[in-house]
This record gives sequence, C-alpha cells and structure tokens, in this order.
Amino acid sequence: MDFGILSIIIFLPMFVAFTFLLLPVGAKGTRNAAFVTSIIIFLLSFYVYQNFELSGFMQFREYYSWIESYGINYSLGIDGFSLIILMLIATLIPCAYLWLWDGRTKGYWVSMLLIQTGITGTLFSQDLILFYFFWEAMLLPVFIIIGMFGTGNRVFSTIKITVYTIMGSLFMLISILYIGVAFYNEFGSWSFALNDVVQITSLSRTEQIWLFFGFMIAFAIKIPLFPFHTWLLETYSNSPTGGVFLFSSIMAKLGVYGIVRFVMPIFPELYKEFAPYFVWLGIFGLIYFGIAAIMQINIKKMFAYSSASHLGFIVVGIFSLNIQGMIGAAFLIIAHAMATGGLFLLVGKMEYDLGIKSIPALGGIAKRAPLFTVYFAVMLLCIVGLPGTNGFVSEFFIILGAFGFSKVAGIVSALTVLVAASFMLWMFQRVVLQDSGNDVSKMRDINKKELLGMLPLAFLIIAMGIYPDWFFYKIDPTIQHYLRDILDVRMAG
Amino acid sequence: MTRDYLLVWIVLAPLMSSLVIGLLYLYSIKVSKVKNTIFTTLGLISPLVSFLIAFFFFIQMIGNDTTFFYSAYRWLGVDGYDIDMGFMADRLSIFMTLFITFVGWLIHIYASGYMRDDEGYGKFFFYFNLFIASMLILVLADSPIIMFIGWEGVGVCSYLLISYYYKDGENVKAGNKAFIANRVGDFGFIIALTMLFYYAGANGFDYVNLSHGVQNLSPTVLSCIGFALFLGAVGKSAQIPLYVWLPDAMAGPTPVSALIHAATMVTAGVYMVARFHFLYDLIPNVGLFIAYIGAFSALFAAIIATKQTDIKKILAYSTMSQLGYMFIAVGLGGYSAGIFHVFTHAFFKALLFMGAGAVIVALHHEQNIFKMGGMKKKLPIVYMTMLVATLAISGIPPFAGFFSKDEILLTAFASGNSFLWLIGVFTAMLTAYYMFRLFFVVFYSKNYNEKRDIHYVPKSMQIPLIVLAFGAILAGFIGVPEALGGSNMVSIWFENWVKSPLHVAHSTEYMLMSINIFVVFLGIVVAYLKFYNYDMKQKLKLSGIIYNKFYIDEIYDKVFVEGIKKLSIFFSLKIDINIIDAIVMGSSRGFIRAGEFVSRMQSANTRHYALFMLVGVSMASIYLLIVLG
Repeated sequence: MDFGILSIIIFLPMFVAFTFLLLPVGAKGTRNAAFVTSIIIFLLSFYVYQNFELSGFMQFREYYSWIESYGINYSLGIDGFSLIILMLIATLIPCAYLWLWDGRTKGYWVSMLLIQTGITGTLFSQDLILFYFFWEAMLLPVFIIIGMFGTGNRVFSTIKITVYTIMGSLFMLISILYIGVAFYNEFGSWSFALNDVVQITSLSRTEQIWLFFGFMIAFAIKIPLFPFHTWLLETYSNSPTGGVFLFSSIMAKLGVYGIVRFVMPIFPELYKEFAPYFVWLGIFGLIYFGIAAIMQINIKKMFAYSSASHLGFIVVGIFSLNIQGMIGAAFLIIAHAMATGGLFLLVGKMEYDLGIKSIPALGGIAKRAPLFTVYFAVMLLCIVGLPGTNGFVSEFFIILGAFGFSKVAGIVSALTVLVAASFMLWMFQRVVLQDSGNDVSKMRDINKKELLGMLPLAFLIIAMGIYPDWFFYKIDPTIQHYLRDILDVRMAG
Repeated sequence: MTRDYLLVWIVLAPLMSSLVIGLLYLYSIKVSKVKNTIFTTLGLISPLVSFLIAFFFFIQMIGNDTTFFYSAYRWLGVDGYDIDMGFMADRLSIFMTLFITFVGWLIHIYASGYMRDDEGYGKFFFYFNLFIASMLILVLADSPIIMFIGWEGVGVCSYLLISYYYKDGENVKAGNKAFIANRVGDFGFIIALTMLFYYAGANGFDYVNLSHGVQNLSPTVLSCIGFALFLGAVGKSAQIPLYVWLPDAMAGPTPVSALIHAATMVTAGVYMVARFHFLYDLIPNVGLFIAYIGAFSALFAAIIATKQTDIKKILAYSTMSQLGYMFIAVGLGGYSAGIFHVFTHAFFKALLFMGAGAVIVALHHEQNIFKMGGMKKKLPIVYMTMLVATLAISGIPPFAGFFSKDEILLTAFASGNSFLWLIGVFTAMLTAYYMFRLFFVVFYSKNYNEKRDIHYVPKSMQIPLIVLAFGAILAGFIGVPEALGGSNMVSIWFENWVKSPLHVAHSTEYMLMSINIFVVFLGIVVAYLKFYNYDMKQKLKLSGIIYNKFYIDEIYDKVFVEGIKKLSIFFSLKIDINIIDAIVMGSSRGFIRAGEFVSRMQSANTRHYALFMLVGVSMASIYLLIVLG
C-alpha cells in the first residue's frame, strides 16, 4: 500500500500515547483517546483484511532503509498467518477497553497504548533486527503496567518476568547476529532481512542447531513451553487485568508466531527434524499443565495453567507438519485468545468488585450476575472445546494433525477433550454456580459497556464454530504455502 | 425433491425458538418481566413443528426407500476437501425423529405444568428446546462430525439441566459427573472420527462415502474404529463402565429425567451403533463384545435397582438396564429390534418418569418410595397410567415392551448366543420384580401416613400421561411378530438397509415367549407377596453391597478423582515450585552471590587493590608470554 497502512497501525497508538503523556489531560481523556485509537486501528485492520488477496505471500509491504551500513531495514509485511493475529489484536483491544473503562489511571492507558505498538510492530517486522527491537520494546510497558498497577508481590513479578524473558531474548539476539555475520561472509553484504537470510547455505549443521535453539529458547519462554513456565504463574496472578489480558490472549501467541515466521523458514530442515520433540513437548504440556490446573486455589493461576496447556496444544499443531494441524493451530490461536482473554476480563471484573481471586472464597455469582454468568459459560465452553464453538474446530483439527504426524501422538492428544473439562467445570461450580455461603453482595452484573464489549468475542466464538469456513479461506493459501514451499512436505489428503 | 430444504427446519425450529426464549429470558430478568405463557407457547410449538415436518418426510418414505439430503452450507473446506453442514433423512433417522419430537413434545407439555412456579421457567425451556435441537442434529446429521456437534450439544444440555438447581453444589457435581463421563466416551468418539478421516474418508466424510470407504480396511483398523466409537456410545448411553453419571443425573427436575431417559441423550449411543451398521456389519466380533457389555449392564443395573429406595434412581437403573437390551440387539446386528425397543422404551419410560414426577409433586418432593404408599386412591390417573407403564416395561403382552424385548431375546437366541439370552431372560424377571416392588410400595402398602397433605397435580401434567399410556399400550403393535399373526412393520421398515434378523421356527418362538412370560410373572408374584401389603412402619435395612451399588462410585472416586487431585498437587507444588522454580530462582541467586563477591572486592582497602593489580599484571604477562612465545 502506498500510504503505509501498516506503519500507521503500528505507530498510531504510540503517537497518541506520547501526545497524551505530554498534554495536561486526565485519565478519562486519555482513556477516551485510547478507545478511539483502538477503534481506528480496528477499521484500518479491517481494511487490510478486506483487501488482503488470497495468496500465501507477503502483502502490504513497506520498506525503508534504517541503518544502511549494516543492512538493517525497516521492512514490514503481512501474510495470512499474521493477518489473523492482526484481526485478533484489532478486535480484542477495543473490547477489552470497554471492560477496563473505569478506575484506571493515565499511566495505565499510556502503557496499554504502548504495548499495542510493540505487539503490532513485532507482528509486521520482516527484518530480524527490527523484530528483535519490537520484541524487546514490548516488554517495557509491560514492566511498567505490572510493576505499577499490579497486585500482590508485583515488583518481584515484574522483575522476574523481565529478567527471564530478556535472558531468553539474548540467545535470540546472539543467533540473529550470528546469522547476519554468516550472511555477510557468504554474500559480501550485510542484511538481516528475512527474505535474505533464508538463502544462507554456509552454516554447518552444528551451527544451525545452536542457532535454532537460540531462537527456540526465546519463543519457548514467551509461549511458555515446559519447563520455562514458572514465571507465568506469578505474572498472571499479579498483573492488572489489562496486562494479563494482553499477555494471555496476544503476547503468548507471538511466541508461536515467531516460530512460524522465523524459525520455520530459516531452519526448515531442523524444523522438520525436531518436530517430533516439540509435538511431544506440546502434548506433555497440554496434559501436565491441565492436571496442574485442577488443584489451583488462585483462579488466575488456574487460568495461567489452562492457558499454558492450550498453548502447548497450539505447538503440537504447528509442528505436526500437515495442513490439518496448522489449521487447528491457527484456529486455536484465535479461539484461545478470545476465550482466555474473555475469561481474564471476567475474572478481572470479579476481582475488581469483590477483591477476591481465591476459588473457595467465591460462589453464588450466578444468582447475582446472570449476564456475567452467560458470558462466563460461553468462554468456558470454548475452552472445553465444545462443538458449536471455535474451540472444537481447533481441537479436532489439531488432533487430526497430530494423528497424521504419528498415530500415538494423535491418540494421546485426543485426551484434550478431558483435560480442560476436568478443571473448568469444577471451577465454574465453585466460583460461579454453587452458593458457598460467602459474601459476594458487592458483585454487580455487567453494565451496558461490558455487555457490548464481550459481545464480539462471544459472537465470534460461536460463529467460527458454526461456520468455520467463512473465516478459514483467508488463511488457507498461507498455510499451503508454508507446507509446500517452505517445509516441502507432502500434502495429506 | 424440491422440498428437501424443509429438512433443516426440523432442526432449526427448536434451535431458533430456544435462542429466542433464551434472549427473552435474559430480557425478562434484566429489564422487564416476560409472561410465562410466551415461553410456554414458543417452547411447545417448536417440537410440534419439527414433528409435523418429520411426519411429512415419513409419509413420502412409505412405499419407497428414498433418502433425502440437504446440505445447508460448506462447514469447512480444506485444500479441496469439503465437510458440509449436511442433513440426511433416511428410514432410521426419520423414525428416530418422529418419536423424539413427539415424546419430547409431550414432555414439554408436562414440564409446563411441573415447572410453572419456578423462577427460571424461561431458562428451563431454553435448555429444553436446545436439548431437542441438539438431539435432532445428532440424528439427522449426514456425517459423523456434524453428528458429533449434536452429540456434544446433548451433553452440554444435560449438564445444564442436571445442575439446574445449581445453588446446591451437589447438583452441579452431578452435572459435572455427567459431562466428564460423557467426555471419556468422547475421547473414543473423537479417535474414531480421526481414524475414519484418515482411513475411510478419502472421498468425503459423509456416511455414504464412509460406508464405501470402510469396505477395504484391514480388520484391525476396523476393530479399532469400532471399539473407539463404542466407547462414545458407552458414555452417552450409560453402560458399564461409564454408567455412573446416570443415577446422579436425577439431581435435575423430573421432566429433565424424562427427556434424558426417553426421547434424547441415552438413546443416542444405540442410534450411533445402528447408524454405523455399515462398519459393525464387518466386525461381528466387536458387535458381540457390544452385546456382552449390554447384557452385563442390563443385569448389573437390574440387580442394583432391586435394593434402591429413591423412586427416580430405581427408574434410572431401569433405563440403564433397558439400554443394555438395546445394545444386545444392535451388537448382534438386530438393528431393527434394537431401534424398536428404543421406540417402545421412549413411551413407557417417559410415562414412568412423568408418573413418578406427579407422585413426587403430590408428596411435596418426597422421593423415597418407602415414605409414599397408598397413592392409588389419591392419584387415580397416575395410578392407572403407571400400571400400564409398569406392565409395559416388565414385558407383559400386549403392552409395548413385550414385543420389542421379545424380539431382542429372539435375536440373541437365534444368533446362537444362548448365554446372552439367558442373561436377558433373568434380567427380565428382575425387571418385573423391581418395577412391581416400586409399584406396590408406592400405590398400595399399609400403615403409611394417612393425614399427609397432597399437593395439587395440574392437568398439564396428567394429560400427557394419558397420551403416553396409550402409546405404551399400542406402540408395540407396529412390531407384532409373524408368529403371532402380525407382520412386524418395524423390521419391514428397516429391511432394505440392514441385514434381516435370523429366523427361527415358530414353535421355538412360542417356546421362548412362554419362558419369557413365565419368568416375568414369577417376578411379579414375588414382588406382590413381599410388597403388596408392605408395612411402612417396619424398619428398612439400608446396607449391603447391592444397596451400596457395589461401591463402584466410591472406588472411582478413590482411584480417579483422588488420584488425579494428588497428581495435580504433585505437579504444581513438588515439580513446579520445588524443582523448576527453585532452579530458576537458584540461578538468579547465583548471580546475586556473584555480584556480592565482586562487590566485596571493592573493599576500599589499598592493600587488596595492590594484590589484584599484581595478579592482573602477572596474568597478562603470562598470557603475553604464551601468545608471543
């Protein structure tokens, strides 16, 4: 596009954030500006969605030189896989704002805007250094939002997550630099562009393995994969609602996105070679985190485990090396973002009203807040993978993918139908339905804004479950491109 | 056919009315009150509409074996492989649809009386219509994956309805139990779907293509698919070992029990095996396994039922037992016999639950039969209709259950599985015993509390009982065997697409029938002697292994529930916190210690600095010496 629509999508929130930081406007003004910004971004993203051509290649490309002497460029573009994540961000953020409407400070809204810039920048980057830049820049507002607006031992949590993820990212940075040098040695000029570095042939197998895992550690921590998950519990538990919402629904997915965007094309052979390990690691995570979730007392920690469990399942999908698994993963990225994001908003509201996040201290919400309960049930059923929601489409296709990959993996991964149901229903019973004699009189039902804010999520969860084809056709060519051109695997019928 | 699109309206009518009711209900509780009559009207019309449309298709099928297809839209197309949201009306699905909608409709009418004072009246009908809609999707789907959508919809509706009185955690627990037990079955179902997709679905995922696709598969693959599918059926139809949810499902309001046990839900498993007859025909050994599971479930449930005291639990176990009969039939390839029993069972079981519900309402929600007694005088209509239903389930000719049960036992005998037949006959005796035990204790007995106050039972609850009683008397006549001068219309209806049942000499049939009727009378006589004049004053012995249902619930609880809870704690406390996070935090503490060590070097002590300089200079010199040689 001529007018750089992707750049506008990236930098508009940052521009608004800095403008309002300098202007003498209060929290309400900043909030209104943030909301309008998110709506504009939604419209721009929708324009991109509508004009996205049905092909598997990068579109809406933008390219400017940045640090010319080292071949570092400002290079953006999206394909079908980034498109769905873009639509996810664009849809989820205004919805979340309606839920965060009251009682947040100016700094909170500024941080939210900045996180949005970091996320979309990461999503569009086609240059390794630019990607790394946004990847790290994303952490800064996260650091602020947990450290300043979190609960509990928030300073400890924020330091833990920051140090942990920066440690992981350092391995990725070293890999990126190494790849840059390798490109220079082979072609005689500097470049970090994804399109260029995929042509490198001079790396030995040992080097490739080191670099592969350099990337994978950074992404595994972000996702998180077992055993890099322990930061998740405290972070999710102590984050403010907006933070944990963005973390669970979008930022965790960027780890998966990074694997697909960079690791797959740069190391296609290793990707295939190590796929079995990651399929099994994903399945292990699915079951391990699912079981660990059962006895959690803190509801946010339970959802943290639940989230990790599903992300493990997404990893199974992307490493299953067939179209069914990839579709399932793409669908689960969307389904999980909506359902988990929605659940964290709901739980955040409950924590805001009651000040409680301990499961035994809750109960009897359904009577006081019926609309809240309806939304809660829809999100829960999506997590459980009920047919008629997009959660089922994703689960079923990942199971198909896993079975296509290996029969045993397929059969074990079918346990997913039991995993989420086992803790989710029990939680629903104790938190929402049964009257446990706790005082929940301060709980109010959702207001009109919240009703409106959750509606798109609930609608899409069901619409994508009843009519998945309507959403799928945009991403189909991209996934076929990944499998045919990048991974060069035989398509299973 | 130009009217094929009507097919989708069988499903859409209850689906749409449930959505409208649901939204109206939310409007009602949040904004302004909506009258119950609106909910009743919407809720009652939609199953009737479905019934009438189904009847229209039924008429067109008489005399010619047409199958109607309608594909609403492409559900998901992947790389040229399309799965449609498609529906199919063949003789099996339309037969099922007819009685699901009809009996379902009667239960709706009954529910409008039973639930009339409930504050969640609208919500109840929202769930109820959704339940019917899901069941119709299940039955009318043209591919297993669309069937699975209905299958799970039925599961979630049952969850919502069982935990309807959700304020009490125990009820929600019963709902959870139903959902999880069903999900264990779904684990099998989804593996079967996956295997069908890879092995038999090359040309399409609908039943027609799959039935061609399975023909050339190896027996191992076929058996795996057959077992996995059957696991799904075991969960949904409450057979050994996944039956534990069914007795607890009584936590829901009584119309829910009637709906779950008669028209929807539990019959889905039997339907599924019949639907996949093209698969099970190829693997008779798996079929035999199914028949044995059915037989043992029938016997096991009947034994437990003889000692229970809760009227609804007795009926729940009787359902499990009757479903066992159906699985004996479909497992042995007697699909028409199995579906026939599903059909007759729908009438008398709905009637039994609704009659029980009327008694429960009349006695202010008393469910213990030993606190009832003497209801004959108080509730004459309920008494009469319950008598019909009890005779029907016991298998006394000419009531409905006799013909269908007889055909199942005949199938078992004729296929050479006399052990199955023996279990079936013995279970029939137990059935007659425990059903008449219930009947005599509730409606006769002596020394019950005469002065108790009887709650009014509305007309809307009594009229469906009468209609169903006629059903329980007459439903069997569509399947009168040739030996009794009938023409067995049920097996004629199904003859074109399932292999016909084995034929035996009429004299053998008469002999089998006589044995059957004899043992049933034996059961009734024993029940009469023990319970006709039962003294309510005497103390009940509430113990023993049968009364405690063989402690299966306790064993499951100890092994699975407690086991998984322990594992959960082990993972989240022992491994995550004590090992993984300890390593993470330990390494960060390592950095701190390293930092402390380095900072200790800055001791502001000149002698230390001089020492460090000396060390540094010496090291540098050594390095230079080595490098420069």
